[in-house]
Amino acid sequence: MAAIFDTNRQDSALFIGGSRVSGQEVRSQNVMAAQAIANVIRTSLGPVGLDKMLVDDVGDVTISNDGATILQLLEVEHPAGKILVKLAQQQDTEVGDGTTSVVIVAAELLRRANELIKSHIHPATVIAGYRLACKEACRFIADQMALKVDKLGQEALVSVAMTTISSKILGAYGSYFAEMAVSALSAVKTPDFRGKARYPVNAVNVLKVKGASARESSHFAGYALRRPFCSAGMRRSVSGPKVAVVDFDITKTRMKLGVQIVIDDPESLEAIRKREADIATERVRMLLAAGVTAIFSTRGIDDAYAKMLAEGGAVAVTRVPKEDARRIAKGTGATLLATLANLDGDESVDPATLGTAELVEQVRLSDDDVVVIRGASEQRAATVILRGANDYMLDEMERSFHDSLCAVKRVLESGAVVPGGGAVEVAVDIYLESFATTLASREQLAIAEFANALLTIPKQLSVNAAKDSVELVAKLRAYHSAAQNAAADSPRSALKHYGLDLYDGKLRDSVKAGVLEPAMSKIKMLKSATEAAINILRIDDMIKLLPEQQPEDPHAHM
Amino acid sequence: MAAPTTIAPARAGGAAAPKRQNDTFNQKDKPMQVRLSNIAAAKAVADAIRTSLGPRGMDKMIETGKKEVVISNDGATILKHMSVLHPAARMLVDLSAAQDVEAGDGTTSVVVLAGSLLVAAEKLLKKGIHPTQIAEGFQSAAVEAVKILHDISIPVDLGDREFLLKSATTSLSSKVVAQYSSVLAPIVVDSVLRVVGAASESNVDLSDVRVVKRVGGTIDDTELIPGVVLNQTAITSAGGPSRIEKAKIGLIQFQLSPPKPDMDNQVVVNDYRQMDRILKEERNYLLNMVKKIKKAGCNVLLIQKSILRDAVNSMSLHFLAKLKIMAVKEVERDEIEFLCKATGCRPIADIDSFTEDKLGSADLVEESESNGSRIVQISGIKNAGRTASIVMRGANQYVLDEAERSIHDALCVIRCLVKKRALVVGGGAPEIEVSQRLSELAKAQTGFQSICFQAFAEAIEVIPTTLAENCGLSPISIVTELRNRHANGEKHAGINVRKGAISDMLRENVIQPLLVSTSAIELSTETVRMLMKIDDILASR
Repeated sequence: MAAIFDTNRQDSALFIGGSRVSGQEVRSQNVMAAQAIANVIRTSLGPVGLDKMLVDDVGDVTISNDGATILQLLEVEHPAGKILVKLAQQQDTEVGDGTTSVVIVAAELLRRANELIKSHIHPATVIAGYRLACKEACRFIADQMALKVDKLGQEALVSVAMTTISSKILGAYGSYFAEMAVSALSAVKTPDFRGKARYPVNAVNVLKVKGASARESSHFAGYALRRPFCSAGMRRSVSGPKVAVVDFDITKTRMKLGVQIVIDDPESLEAIRKREADIATERVRMLLAAGVTAIFSTRGIDDAYAKMLAEGGAVAVTRVPKEDARRIAKGTGATLLATLANLDGDESVDPATLGTAELVEQVRLSDDDVVVIRGASEQRAATVILRGANDYMLDEMERSFHDSLCAVKRVLESGAVVPGGGAVEVAVDIYLESFATTLASREQLAIAEFANALLTIPKQLSVNAAKDSVELVAKLRAYHSAAQNAAADSPRSALKHYGLDLYDGKLRDSVKAGVLEPAMSKIKMLKSATEAAINILRIDDMIKLLPEQQPEDPHAHM
Repeated sequence: MAAPTTIAPARAGGAAAPKRQNDTFNQKDKPMQVRLSNIAAAKAVADAIRTSLGPRGMDKMIETGKKEVVISNDGATILKHMSVLHPAARMLVDLSAAQDVEAGDGTTSVVVLAGSLLVAAEKLLKKGIHPTQIAEGFQSAAVEAVKILHDISIPVDLGDREFLLKSATTSLSSKVVAQYSSVLAPIVVDSVLRVVGAASESNVDLSDVRVVKRVGGTIDDTELIPGVVLNQTAITSAGGPSRIEKAKIGLIQFQLSPPKPDMDNQVVVNDYRQMDRILKEERNYLLNMVKKIKKAGCNVLLIQKSILRDAVNSMSLHFLAKLKIMAVKEVERDEIEFLCKATGCRPIADIDSFTEDKLGSADLVEESESNGSRIVQISGIKNAGRTASIVMRGANQYVLDEAERSIHDALCVIRCLVKKRALVVGGGAPEIEVSQRLSELAKAQTGFQSICFQAFAEAIEVIPTTLAENCGLSPISIVTELRNRHANGEKHAGINVRKGAISDMLRENVIQPLLVSTSAIELSTETVRMLMKIDDILASR
């Protein structure tokens, strides 16, 4: 019996139910997986990057240029690949932009680290070097490359938005949408209770309406709801309305489960039915008596009550999504009412829970009726109406617009930008290379590789633009090297703002050309990419367990 | 790639056993076979996690049967997820878990040590020494080893924060969060010190240290919160407040929702007036409860989760919001004790016993948002109990989970110091010292005991050897040099991982609790003894 274990011992494998890969092999596999992920989105980087069409198993199509969106829709099996996908998503939620570059940089860092390890440098040394390099790079960006927005003025904001948009589907109308993004975001500026200005991106309401060209997209101050008034008999617009936002049904009241209505007299059946209807009627009367002229309900309103409201001169919108209802309540200063109950145990409408606005009106937008709230008293809202030829395009437009909003928000909140077009990457590369030579330890090699890994961004940018990457990047490096070696006041130090002009295949001053990115996005990108690369590098063993067996269903064979 | 090695001892054994039934008693070499097979299996486990030992140890990535990915450096965690099948190998997994419970740290070393002891035992077995004698010999060697460790240990005073910080840093240095140890070590030390009350206490209940994990931000943003942090967020759907100053905190174990009749019972209505009464009754029922709560002065309400009824409904939330009471629901049953201790309130099981003396008070209860997630924080608590709350941040779930495990290990290290206030140095120094002194002892003895002592002494050198290997150093030259240094009386000489050389560990601040080392030796020796004493594996139903 003991013999059965001998065969396994010869395998010298672990006694586990699954497979195990360790050492260099697993590292190479992980790096390969990361590489594969990066290759998928590599070509969508930059202003001349191309889009991907993704078709899922039921045939739904998504067309996107956004790294996070593409990766989210990919079915990634490999666990190391999954880390990169998560990385892109994290960048998306935290920064909102730079999702493609973060993955490309992480994959490049991994590839170079693997080469180093193959030439017998211990992974721990590489990791230490990467950490040091990342720290230095972030410090360098913050100290040397970042520019205060205050100095650059308002145009800088538009430039930032434009830089983000330029790589997306909206690129052709860059300045149009960039200005739209900036003014929409400025419209929703709200101070938090500490008095600090906040720019809630989700207060910018984006409506996608099919038809017309992207150029005809528009924005206005106010909140638009993609729902019509619930009854055609209602007025088209109410000026200076009193707004109630309710979260209960205005329908015939039904008793709860567990309450049984038992009657032995046909008369009382009628009475009960009447009472069911009356409870809601009373509520409507109460609302009207309180002077409410606009009701936004997250639930339904029966036709009979809609009619009552219409006759009372009020307008109502039903089935408002809860998220929208909450924002309307916040904007108009109303409270989202779950019930009309008051503290005496009765029902009444508390005037304090009602909000005000300047105008509520129903307007027609292409094929849809849209209710618009203008001039809400508490918080401003902005609505952007995107027009496009088809759903795919509209979806991608929304994502692009969202990215640019995020970028502008970051700049507004942190107040610093860096030149784009690969300028930062090349500058950091030059800086780190000279920094590496000051260290007389093994980490030097890792730092140099880290520096070179960053060059993958300008290289990829020029490759995507079908330009000679070798020549352009070499030239750019020369510029930046000159800038960093020059004295602070010499004219050469201005060269540090130089980046790629991908349309003409030349170099230019990115700041003057208005190619700007939020500084925070770059720093975060470096930090997260390094973190993810280290995370994967530390792995020297991968154990895959067999999938759990589903317990057999005893009824399956019946 | 290694082939999948699934084995099914039960089935294979069942088929083979009856045929060989008679042989079993005749075969003299069978017990030996069983032992060797057990040793091989256990060794495989030890080899599997060997590379994650020490500050330059690597991580393992495990894809579980449910396709979840776990990345870890912690021996106990790796082994727990590995689904080891061989019964003897399982013992090593349990060994690691035992060390986790006892000391919390050193879960990798204990398994590596056990593996090495088994290799030594295998050699002795082949020399023809009886397994029982090996077991006895190892046992007495372990007793001696523990004595030696006590002898070379350095007593520590809990007031000496520096020392505690250093030991926490040593524990953290081998983890993925190593570069954040300057942030995390003080958090760990302070939170344990906050929980330890009187200086005389000999144990710490780590459940009094709460770790709340939130994705977003980096590990740098991890902080020790003065006060309490809730896992849950405030309910604001009905417009309730999310910031209360001069808070009075009530913790209730009943629900603010209308009671439901039993399945079998029905409320029967036969008149329309009764409908109104039902609606009104519901309103009044909730209103009375909420009013009572308000009357007691409570303005922050924590509601325990219930599986039978909704904790709150929209009506009661509406009332709570109207009376400016902040509500937090879904408080788990096992959190109650912690929250009571932390906030100084007492759980209230019934609305009638909702009185002011059961409330806890704090200066501020506030829900704040940072890095994309919201947390509720209670600060300025009056007569707070000894608890600590840590909010952990990390870029993704993997990092966060691993960071939590690392924090746990570091907390355990400090707890070990509270339990047994002595330190030994790290970097393989104590192991070399023990090894050398055991060799001395071996020379003073005769017979199998001497051989066992010698074997044990050599086996324990696996720790410095593996450390050196994992740092990319040559194990032979490092270990021999260490022996030399120790023979010359430098009892704190250990492997300096950063410099790749040997130096005085005490000066390098690489220190660990004595308890971790002694418990590793004791536990691994006991496991080896047990494995030695097995001479047959039988499949049972």
